[in-house]
Amino acid sequence: MDMPTAAPTSVAAQEFMPRTDAPTPELAVATRGLTKSYGQRVALTGLDMSVPTGKVYGFLGPNGSGKTTALRLLTGLLRPNAGTISLFGQPYTWHDRTRLFKVGALIETPAFYPYLSGAENLQVLGASGPPTDPSRIDQVLQYVGMSGRAKSPVQTYSLGMKQRLGIAAAMLSDPDLLLLDEPANGLDPAGMVAMRETLRYFTGELGKTVVISSHLLHEVQQLADVVGIIDRGRLIREGPLTELLETSGRVRVRVDPAEMTKAAAILRDLASDRPLYGIDSGEQAGWFTVGVAPGRAVEINRALAAAGIYASGLEPGSDLESLFLELTGSGGAVAASPAAPDAAPAAPVAPVAPADPGPPPMSQP
Amino acid sequence: MRLIRAELLKARRRQATWVLLIVALLLTAAIYLLIGKAIGGASCAFRFDDFSDDTCVIAFPGAYALIDQFAFATLGGVLAIVYAAAFVGADWNWGTLRNVIARGESRAMYLLAKAAGLAIVLAIGCLAIFFFAFVMTYLTAFTNGIPVASPLRGHGLEDLGANLILGYLVVLERAALGLAVAVVLRSQLAGAVVGIVLYLGEGIVTTYLTLTSIGRNFGNGGFGGLQAIGPEWFQYLPMTVGNQLLSWAPGVAGDLATGGVQGFFLKPVPLEQALPAVLIYLFGAIAISILAFNRQEIA
Repeated sequence: MDMPTAAPTSVAAQEFMPRTDAPTPELAVATRGLTKSYGQRVALTGLDMSVPTGKVYGFLGPNGSGKTTALRLLTGLLRPNAGTISLFGQPYTWHDRTRLFKVGALIETPAFYPYLSGAENLQVLGASGPPTDPSRIDQVLQYVGMSGRAKSPVQTYSLGMKQRLGIAAAMLSDPDLLLLDEPANGLDPAGMVAMRETLRYFTGELGKTVVISSHLLHEVQQLADVVGIIDRGRLIREGPLTELLETSGRVRVRVDPAEMTKAAAILRDLASDRPLYGIDSGEQAGWFTVGVAPGRAVEINRALAAAGIYASGLEPGSDLESLFLELTGSGGAVAASPAAPDAAPAAPVAPVAPADPGPPPMSQP
Repeated sequence: MRLIRAELLKARRRQATWVLLIVALLLTAAIYLLIGKAIGGASCAFRFDDFSDDTCVIAFPGAYALIDQFAFATLGGVLAIVYAAAFVGADWNWGTLRNVIARGESRAMYLLAKAAGLAIVLAIGCLAIFFFAFVMTYLTAFTNGIPVASPLRGHGLEDLGANLILGYLVVLERAALGLAVAVVLRSQLAGAVVGIVLYLGEGIVTTYLTLTSIGRNFGNGGFGGLQAIGPEWFQYLPMTVGNQLLSWAPGVAGDLATGGVQGFFLKPVPLEQALPAVLIYLFGAIAISILAFNRQEIA
């Protein structure tokens, strides 16, 4: 079965224009034309990213889209081939290391000395970079709910515990900007809720800025104020999450899987400017995600009924996942564009993430 | 200072530190046990050069030769390379380096702190092995009924201090080379393996070049050509020149004690040349490490 790939929409395409506005202190991070290659492979091509101060910025993108490369460039681990970086309105270059005193980072998997305890790891880390008050170690361990295991060697920690310690390490010097690369990796639901609460406190109460790179869209949707979506090394969409979602409504509709081909043709006509996603196998078989405003759910239902297809489910809504899939062309698109040939329902698209279980005990920041 | 303290904490808590120290002490003990067994109560048969009492390896001052050769030149040298590579290379292997760099720490300062921490740990290790070898010397001499004499014989503390300082310098030089290899290759294992290969490789190459020089000299002058010649250029190679420096330690009987076959046929590198050469290798290796580290991207 052919599966046309979704092309970037016209909305996304206009974001490809390079930005020329100067970074301001209101922006905790601003990159302009940031480019990085690894040999022949281009990882970032002119990244223009603007992170407002005091907000949670969700940095989203498919695997290999350049998220981690961007964070490595922001923390001086890599040198850009071209472009500029500003931190809090001040230019930052490879050797201008003291600018990083305001930054705390967790890049990729948390890395620690396995034979040292969690507290000792923070102690040796605190010896580097900005002067760090030793009492801060207990404080950040409390933030992440690790006080009880602070004296155990890190090699006895689970992945989730290492992740918590990584977040504590990033917060060690009381930074104004936190860069967290997939911070929810390995966290159990309680850990995810605790992290969310901690980061909300960090931005809401302390006025700090957080950049979260993640593939857990549901998690980001709950936390982020602003979102940047990166694909193939380029920022294809950026803006306040609420605004982005308003312009990217969707309706999920379920039909009999046997009628998906016929339904796809009707639905494609209703949402001719945006890709159509369908699931043709498994428990979710028969679900379509149609890129239209939620208010058009009735219209969809009516059009299907007129063709003798009766929807067994109809869910108007708007979420980050459908926006992400639409912009990055991830998942299986049933119809990529008005010009696309008739296509049968495609491979499964990741279903909308289930809701969090009830809130477990949280670590109070 | 806080960086150096952090390095010392890491070293103290790391198993490899204690494993290598125990290995060094066990090998030292083994060497003395073998010597004691071989002597078997006879008079001191293990001597360097002229068979005088001063060159008996289990009686001072000749005992310094074995201690220096074993604690610093051979065993100490190899262990210093391995430990230095592990000490600095682990940061790449465990990914802990990116935490430090992302916090805005100066790369040069971080590496210098590592080198300083390493130097302190090696000083403690050298002292431990040095004095353990002392104890083993006394035990071996006592069990064989050989008068061990006093380590303070001759110039007393001056000899002891000179042996320690020269030996420690040689260990530091080798550690710096191990550190440089690990930094350039960004790996503790690669650093240790390449360091040892360089160490052994240089030994093999210099032995070959020594024999070539001897052959050439013999060809030119017959048996008269068997007189010691040199110093040759290859005696200035990093590992070899360390041995040459140690040969000037008080109590060490000339180059023969630390130079192997070279000692018979090649004149030692003068102290005033060997010492600067070792220092150049020591600080040169650290400088290269800093330059390489400053340019490295950390993936």
